[in-house]
Amino acid sequence: MGICRQTTKRRQVNRVMAKSLFIVVVGCGRLGSLLANGLSGQGHSVVVIDRRAEAFDDLSAEFSGFKVVGDAVESETLRKARAADADCLIAAAEEDNVNLMVAQVAKDVFQVKWVIARVAEPARELAYRQLNIETVSPTSLAGDYVLRSLAQDK
Amino acid sequence: MKVIIVGGGKVVYFLAKVFISKGYQPVIIDQDKDECLWLSQELKAVVLNGDGSRPVLLEEAGAREAIAVLAVTPRDQDNLVVCQLASKMFEVERTLALVNDPENQEVFHRLGVSVAFSTTHIMATLIEQQAGLEEVVNLLPVAQGKMTVTEVLLHQGLPSVGRSMQELDMPSGSLIGAIIRGDKVTVPRGPDRLQDGDRLLLISTPESYGPALRCLMGKEV
Amino acid sequence: MKDQKILVVDDEKNIRLSLSQALAPLGWPVETAVNGEEALGKLDDQSILLIILDLRMPGMDGIEVLRRVSELRPDIRVIIVTAYGTVERAVEAMKLGAVDFIQKPFSPEQIRDLTQQVLARDQLNEDKAADYQTHLELAKKAVGERNFKGALSHAQKAIALDPYRAEAFNLVGCLHEVLHQREDAIKNYRMAYEADPSYAPARENLDRLTSHGGRGPISWESAGKQRKDDK
Repeated sequence: MGICRQTTKRRQVNRVMAKSLFIVVVGCGRLGSLLANGLSGQGHSVVVIDRRAEAFDDLSAEFSGFKVVGDAVESETLRKARAADADCLIAAAEEDNVNLMVAQVAKDVFQVKWVIARVAEPARELAYRQLNIETVSPTSLAGDYVLRSLAQDK
Repeated sequence: MKVIIVGGGKVVYFLAKVFISKGYQPVIIDQDKDECLWLSQELKAVVLNGDGSRPVLLEEAGAREAIAVLAVTPRDQDNLVVCQLASKMFEVERTLALVNDPENQEVFHRLGVSVAFSTTHIMATLIEQQAGLEEVVNLLPVAQGKMTVTEVLLHQGLPSVGRSMQELDMPSGSLIGAIIRGDKVTVPRGPDRLQDGDRLLLISTPESYGPALRCLMGKEV
Repeated sequence: MKDQKILVVDDEKNIRLSLSQALAPLGWPVETAVNGEEALGKLDDQSILLIILDLRMPGMDGIEVLRRVSELRPDIRVIIVTAYGTVERAVEAMKLGAVDFIQKPFSPEQIRDLTQQVLARDQLNEDKAADYQTHLELAKKAVGERNFKGALSHAQKAIALDPYRAEAFNLVGCLHEVLHQREDAIKNYRMAYEADPSYAPARENLDRLTSHGGRGPISWESAGKQRKDDK
């Protein structure tokens, strides 16, 4: 096993795994744990952050990522989770404002290229969407869905 | 002139009083119902009960006409959102936020909040001085916390403008280390007079800091 | 290669899974153990060539596991998994032959690279050593063999080749600590810091040794931690 062969093997291995992303999920509540489990299952490298260690109980038995306990509003917590190296950060905490702040800090300070924030309140979501923050509102999605279904039925 | 204050507790009461005494109209948004009742009784001010980080409440509070919005809740994330909504949605010129995590001070500046304080004390003192925050910057603790170095920008109307260094009578424990005028830096001497636009390097002990600022910028309320 | 195994020891299931999945493409079979006792029970298996060990586990402490491995199977290489912050008890770990650390969270690529780097060390040829990196690897190989003087010699050759990089200075500092030579350790940590003030392990080691009491864990480069300028 010479060193030359090692390097070639490493290149091949990394090509195969190229599509695996390093994703930070903020919040291990209903949405956060769903995403963490799903993304880990898809083969991505996931780090979940939550203020409470008990929240990690919602992670599946097959979860193969990392857990960081801490308040994501503090930059130190994002550093613990190595946010600077993340390909994607998803802010899925229960509070809109936490998600909005973390999303912006991730983008601006940690230079994460791809950031998504869950923002439940529609008026806030709209305002921030206009600031170029990629947001998703479960409220709006659910509302739209119901309205569309009812409209179709007419 | 309308100023919106989002938050609760004594800070809000104190700030509102100061603004009223200066002729502003504070509008308070507080999430605690009992506090709201108490505030509306104690102050001649409009008090709204709700979450000031929701656009609908800021609208109701009259953010469109407000000249400043102050976010002083104990949570940095709420303060950030209040200020950002105020400035971006309602075009409020001045937004000021309280930050708990000192690291967030810099972050808030980057994210467009006009001013971010890491203690309410500084906020209250500076409002007393009738100074806009932009005039007092770069607070550097040096020598293991025994001295602070502050850059103070002078403008017309301040009691120190037009006076000579001798006339100033700076409190003991403080001194003006340098005057930056245009692109020249001078070490001030007795007969030198302070001018509008001067940047002063104020060196002081923590105890003399307040009195020194008052000496330069105006009397306490 | 099929006969050689990697043993992963961590109390957290997600870490065991993470490591197993990350290492799978390398081709070495991966076995897991949930705690120290289970790990020691597997030491009879001569096909284990590498152990990836979490220092912080409930029950038998990681250092204790490392001590037993060092006694019973000194031929096994060990990579230590650490949590965020300074590496704990790294001087003890180094005395027991462990010189490779990876900090959580790490990417699959990082643990793969480190594993391959560690396993490639045995193939290194002392006579052909010419560059900084190779001498550093030989120094680490010597630590694995508990040959601390030999490690020092190689690390110093690395320094001679490039006195502007911090890693070799920091390693020399750690080795001096292992050899109870505190003043020399401080000197080398200082030189590491001067070579690169952003190199955190050296700064932490220097602070620890020069502050009041002079006690605390040795800080060592962890593969999982990225430096800002590396990005």
